[in-house]
Amino acid sequence: MSAHPSRAASDAPVLSVRDLRIEFPLGVVVDGSSFDIARGQTMGLVGESGSGKSMTSLAIMGLLPKEATTTGSARFHGNELLHRSDASMRRTRGDQIAMIFQDPLSSLNPYYTVGFQIAEAYRAHKGGTKAAAMRKAAEAMDRVRIPDAAGRVGHYPHQFSGGMRQRVMIAMALVCEPDLIIADEPTTALDVTVQAQILDLLAEVQEMTQAAMLFITHDLAVVSQISDHVTVMRFGRTVEQGTAEQIFSSPRKDYTRALLAATPRLDDVVDLPEPILTKGGE
Amino acid sequence: MAIYLVKRLFAALIIMLLVVFFTFVIFFQLSPDPAASICGQTCTPERIEAIRDQLGLNEPFFTQFFTFLAAIFVGRDYGSGASVVHCNAPCIGYSFQTNQDVLQGIVDRLPVSVTIAVGAAVLWLLSGVAAGVISAVKEGTWWDKGAMMFALAGISLPNYFVALVLQYLLVVQLQWLPFPTVVPFTDSPVQWFQAYLMPWMVLALMYASMYARLTRTNVIDTMGENFMRTARAKGLGRSAVLIRHGLRPSLTPIVTLLGVDFATLLGGALITETVFGLNGVGRYAYDAIAVNDQPVIMGVTLVAAFAVIIANIVVDLLYRVLDPRVRVSTS
Amino acid sequence: MSDIATPLLAAKDLSKEFRTGRRETFTAVEGVSFDVHRRQTLGIVGESGSGKSTTARMIARLIDPTSGSVEFQGEEITQHSGASLRDFRSGVQMVFQDPYSSLNPRHTVEEVVSAPLRYQKRTAAGGCRSMVKAAMERVGLNPDHSTRYPRQFSGGQAQRIGIARALIVEPKLVICDEAVSALDVSVQAQVLELLVDLQRERDISYIFIAHDLAVVRQIAHKVAVMQKGRIVEQGPRDEIFDDPQHEYTKALLASVPSIDPRWDAGRRS
Repeated sequence: MSAHPSRAASDAPVLSVRDLRIEFPLGVVVDGSSFDIARGQTMGLVGESGSGKSMTSLAIMGLLPKEATTTGSARFHGNELLHRSDASMRRTRGDQIAMIFQDPLSSLNPYYTVGFQIAEAYRAHKGGTKAAAMRKAAEAMDRVRIPDAAGRVGHYPHQFSGGMRQRVMIAMALVCEPDLIIADEPTTALDVTVQAQILDLLAEVQEMTQAAMLFITHDLAVVSQISDHVTVMRFGRTVEQGTAEQIFSSPRKDYTRALLAATPRLDDVVDLPEPILTKGGE
Repeated sequence: MAIYLVKRLFAALIIMLLVVFFTFVIFFQLSPDPAASICGQTCTPERIEAIRDQLGLNEPFFTQFFTFLAAIFVGRDYGSGASVVHCNAPCIGYSFQTNQDVLQGIVDRLPVSVTIAVGAAVLWLLSGVAAGVISAVKEGTWWDKGAMMFALAGISLPNYFVALVLQYLLVVQLQWLPFPTVVPFTDSPVQWFQAYLMPWMVLALMYASMYARLTRTNVIDTMGENFMRTARAKGLGRSAVLIRHGLRPSLTPIVTLLGVDFATLLGGALITETVFGLNGVGRYAYDAIAVNDQPVIMGVTLVAAFAVIIANIVVDLLYRVLDPRVRVSTS
Repeated sequence: MSDIATPLLAAKDLSKEFRTGRRETFTAVEGVSFDVHRRQTLGIVGESGSGKSTTARMIARLIDPTSGSVEFQGEEITQHSGASLRDFRSGVQMVFQDPYSSLNPRHTVEEVVSAPLRYQKRTAAGGCRSMVKAAMERVGLNPDHSTRYPRQFSGGQAQRIGIARALIVEPKLVICDEAVSALDVSVQAQVLELLVDLQRERDISYIFIAHDLAVVRQIAHKVAVMQKGRIVEQGPRDEIFDDPQHEYTKALLASVPSIDPRWDAGRRS
């Protein structure tokens, strides 16, 4: 297995997407998406259902269904990712680009131990013995703060809580030390207290590895906490793009403003009808 | 685990008892007088009465039922004095038409039925699962459509029809096989194999068709699972994704099915054995039905039910081993 | 005699145990008490496994409590059956999380919305249609679409169908179990607004169950926080949100992601 491609310059983007267009027989799902992500930076991709945000990530991973056709380009360290053969894409997937999914329980195979499933990702790219890969798995689990990692590699997914399972998924993504992490709604299925922990963990992991991150979510509040840059998508089109500060403090487009207004806030005081607490009283 | 096993065995015992009871009721209530069948056509009323007496058929229903039950554990004597016939425990009946202990009759014929069942099971498992997996992977292609059409035919066509067509083709027309004659394996392995080949194929066709369809559905369902996408996202090769992550969840339910189908065949493949002249448990029952030899029909029914009940327990235990979600409880 | 009205609904010391094995039981809800007045909304918040949905189901009499009581309009209803249970059910309706799976896909909107009427045996054959159309109109659906099937509607519209179905029997209490959780934010805001409008208009009370605290703040007059089957804290909305007392409530509130206040430009005025 070759080392990561040489990085031309430190400020060159890790991922550079240009005019990405994804079409299914039933219609266009992404129409002209363009963005860059630099090392150690996070791009937040926000949108409601049907905005094409998840399709964008699958296109980058080369995991779109066969019937989808893509045009445009997605360059990773300058190398085109689109239209590559599955075999060549496979060497990049899981090694230099890793993905974390929404529902950790269904994203892990119930028939294999978590250690096996993490080690499998390691061996697919780095080779080595099963025992060595298992040690790597335990290390990765330790890095994402799973208590007693060495003891828990032999446990099955159903033996973990929801938050711990997502840590397993993150450990699996980290095990080959990727340059790009794609997180597709990684906290949506989790309870709020767990969500906060996982967001902290992701930020910490990124700080440590300086990986670029594409963070996909429908939740503007989550995106505001983790992103350096934000792309707002709707019906497959990019509505607005900018730094997190610009998007949240001075949104230019009506749709962005509407989304922000619709996002429920803890400190919002809404006018409610008065309850009827006294007899016959109004 | 031990508690679970005890519970299951206890439940099995209850079910077995119910099976015995209902089988007994059916034969007691619905069938023609067994004494008359034993006696034959030239028979006097006195002789019938004597036979009824010897078989205990004049006793009340529950007396007969408990005599039958007790015989399973302690054996039983039919009649008394010089004409006494003893049936050793476990006794599930005595055939006065063949003058044989029914259980012995079944045990004698079991090797043939086991041979048929094992050979057919190997054949249908390999071909059915392979066809199902290929169909699933090539979903919607001509291979898939063709295989599923063939499977539908395999399920729909009656056994005896397939048997006759196969015999006509392979023996009469193409002459690839001699007319099957059963010989012991040790005498001539080739001839032994030739005798069993067609029964295996006939039974396997039906089961393979069912297994192919089920495997196909399971594999297609599994391919849609999120963990398959994870496996691909890790950068695993196509075959590793399919074989390691796809087949294990798809085939575990097949194991369950296999156990029960196999056990069902131990109770005899009535039609196949008869068509091919194999003297297995199914043929034993077939012959008994022809002459209304009730103890044999009942005995085979009970043994067949017993095999299925035991197989169910074995399969459930196996499932607990194969599926970690059942094996390892949440900690 | 005090001037305070009897609560519309009062739950007293509700508990629910599920049997998980021969001798093992799992206590899903333990000693839960609260009351809801007319035109009032009680928000019940908690994480998965907190027992909030089990509580909702006990109130709606979909499952029976192991112990405790529920009084509706001053009348104990946990022992009701037959006609009196049917009367109770016409006063209490539920709206569920997933609009598609909780609406029969083979029934037209008209059949779905009128189902509670038929269950209540209040059908006047001709009157039914006009009531359905009125209910659809009120929740913002085109009444001409009453012959369509639930799948032909978007998620937000399907949830409006669920609300129309709940409204048609003119209930006094509507239990919303994660009713807006599956919806996109812009749709969520509209549905919440509809619920508040309906409350103002018809004096409906809600028990609003959600894991999202920010949503609860926008609809509830008072809030009960559940953890591991118990209510750890309850009180008026602003007290719970602005001055939480229990550690768990504090942790929950601290975990809710919010848009960085420095950047926060998209506020409603």
